[in-house]
Amino acid sequence: MDTLPWKHGGKMRFVVFVKQVPDTSAVCTDINGNLIREGVPSILNPYCESALNMACGVKKDGDVITAVSMGPPQAENALFRCLELGADEAFLLTDRAFAGADVHATVRTLSAFVKKFIPDYDLIFCGKQAADGDTAQVPAELAYMLGCGQFCYTQKLTLSGEWKAVQNYGSEVRECIIGKGDLLSVSDEEIGFRLPSAADYIRAAGIEIKKLNIADIGLDTFSVGLKGSKTKIVSATPSKVSRRGAVTDGSDPAKAAEHIRDAII
Amino acid sequence: MASDIRKAETGSPYLTDESKMVGSADNIIIPETEEDVIKITEEHFACGRPITISGMRTGMCGGCVPFGGDVLSTEKLNKVIGIGRDERGYYVRVQPAVTVRELNEVLRKKLYTDLTDITENAVGSLLGEGTDFFYPVDPTELNSSLGGNIAVNSSGPRTLKYGPTRNWVRRIRAVLADGCVMDIKRTDITAEGRMLRFRTSKGEREVPLPSYDYNMNVKNSTGIMAKDGMDMVDLFIGSEGIFGTVTEADLYIVPWHPLISNIFFFPNDSSAYLFVEKIQKSDINPEFLEYFDSGSLNLLRTAAEKDPNLNSMPGIPDGAGSAVFMDLPMDDTLMSNYRKIEILSKSNGGSLENSWCGHELRDREKFFGFRHSVPQIIFEYVAGLKGKVPKIHKMGTDMSVPLKNLGRMMTVYSKTLDRYGLEHVTFGHIGNGHLHVEIILKDMDNLTKAKEAYRELAIKAIRLGGSPSAEHGIGKIKREYVELMYGKKGTEEMKKTKEAMDPRWILCPGNMVEK
Repeated sequence: MDTLPWKHGGKMRFVVFVKQVPDTSAVCTDINGNLIREGVPSILNPYCESALNMACGVKKDGDVITAVSMGPPQAENALFRCLELGADEAFLLTDRAFAGADVHATVRTLSAFVKKFIPDYDLIFCGKQAADGDTAQVPAELAYMLGCGQFCYTQKLTLSGEWKAVQNYGSEVRECIIGKGDLLSVSDEEIGFRLPSAADYIRAAGIEIKKLNIADIGLDTFSVGLKGSKTKIVSATPSKVSRRGAVTDGSDPAKAAEHIRDAII
Repeated sequence: MASDIRKAETGSPYLTDESKMVGSADNIIIPETEEDVIKITEEHFACGRPITISGMRTGMCGGCVPFGGDVLSTEKLNKVIGIGRDERGYYVRVQPAVTVRELNEVLRKKLYTDLTDITENAVGSLLGEGTDFFYPVDPTELNSSLGGNIAVNSSGPRTLKYGPTRNWVRRIRAVLADGCVMDIKRTDITAEGRMLRFRTSKGEREVPLPSYDYNMNVKNSTGIMAKDGMDMVDLFIGSEGIFGTVTEADLYIVPWHPLISNIFFFPNDSSAYLFVEKIQKSDINPEFLEYFDSGSLNLLRTAAEKDPNLNSMPGIPDGAGSAVFMDLPMDDTLMSNYRKIEILSKSNGGSLENSWCGHELRDREKFFGFRHSVPQIIFEYVAGLKGKVPKIHKMGTDMSVPLKNLGRMMTVYSKTLDRYGLEHVTFGHIGNGHLHVEIILKDMDNLTKAKEAYRELAIKAIRLGGSPSAEHGIGKIKREYVELMYGKKGTEEMKKTKEAMDPRWILCPGNMVEK
């Protein structure tokens, strides 16, 4: 791959894939334990917002950040949030045929979009997972389908001669050199939390969110949505986990620690 | 149902409020029903034993702090009862310990399953409306009880557009000092001149009202309401529990409309003030106008250094020496309002770039958290100081003046407090001529000076046509300002009203007037 402009900080094209999710912090249950969805606002997935913030953090004059979401028409609000926070353009992939997509059908749609509309992109940013689904599989499968490198659990991105991603696996922190066309998935919910300014709002309001349907992307109905999904849910039952409390005398810390160790190992 | 009765032990949270003033009582009594309240009140009335009414204890003047007798905590009277509708619109029937936050959650999430129809099919009709509804009085402290809001006629930032609590109360049900229940809606009982005449289950009552004219030109919660022909509902609103325990209220609600919250930063205190002046002369109609002076912003900066999660907001921009917070309607006026604001802010050293905005609920809540964290930091500071200086309590002004005199009053604040050598920060409802000046006390000497300074400021505010207590009420801490406002005559007349409503002075003794 041509890495010269890439390495030397030429004009960059960043793509950020985002999802609109219910604000899980605002969801509550009724006395029967059922979720109350009424009045729960939809928001830009917090991990996706962090991914966008990471892209904005490395953006220089002339670079372009494109925010992309697949979802119903109201997902426009999540894209508007991206524009307010610094994205330069936004695409909403919206079509009834996209509904019910599993990870595979979602990734097929997203990769088809990138290949057709932004084939010369430099980096893709994704949130680690969606706060409503928690599968955390889209970034990895998207990287696989695009044939690019994937850097999950990315916490930091720097450019100093090379682009480097700091990945935090919990037990291990790695710093890796990344290449043009690679994909980063961002694990923190609060990277560079910002608020737009009134000027940002006005700028965002002036940008048209482009809507693309299945024909625009060039896929057929059997490749996308429910029909293109490989996962079929036969039935769903709540899992039952039984928990048992145990109390130990804490007057001897060493014995208490042994007790905890024995209980969890 | 029987009330929960427990001993009031030293250090009990029921003996204090956000002022950090500490009182004493024998028992904490927690009724579960109105019948319990009646029984407790009758028993206390029979033996002349004082009761101090308490809600969520978020008051700032010691109104719920007991000085002897027992505390009656309304905390279990916390149900949203139902929805009704009359010619003015929808209203919600609540018990007194429902908080402002809880009421608005019920409305936003349409948690109507257990609500009753106060009027025919009102719940279904409200559900069928194509829009959300909300209770528009925002007392800043959203965990305050609605009963407490009624007790002090709470207002807060949105008074600029919606007025105080008084404007939203349709009906009140209250247990009087002798245990009789009054259930009155507006226009049921009005005064003949300055005399209220009404009947209870125990006979005819005559209650004389003070002869002063209650100042309605500014935000005002000093003293009881008094005017010719006044509605009896208004006697309870702002009366700080001295006439009865509110057990139910009907509060009007209004359709919600999308809003965008904005904080505009300015280089110094005067630039923000001048910006506000221009906004008020323009045709921009913000829902409220709130001010942060340089001291407030520095207080927030310092607190955020210690606790980065203080209010989940970004760092305050370097160079910001003041700020103005406003909500604007997200309708077809928004862009033209922004263009006008751009011009007005630029001429005072601000810009649209040097601002924050947010229209999603989660962001707007953060904006209000940011605003609320200024007094909260001071509450916590004073609470921390209590270990070293047990008798200290918070000293913050709550004075309002007519807008035309606000500039003069701001000069008086800084000159007076500087003369006393008292560190202070100024923030709050600049759009209503009502700023809060919080004095950062360090020791008892500071408190003594602060009380002297406060008295000077209160006299000045009254001379400028204002009120020494705009929204927090009087409680015990600010009682001396009642006489400053109404003179000896007015205070004595207020005592006569109290005497007629509560002849044994058992309800909330020490609030507003002393026997």
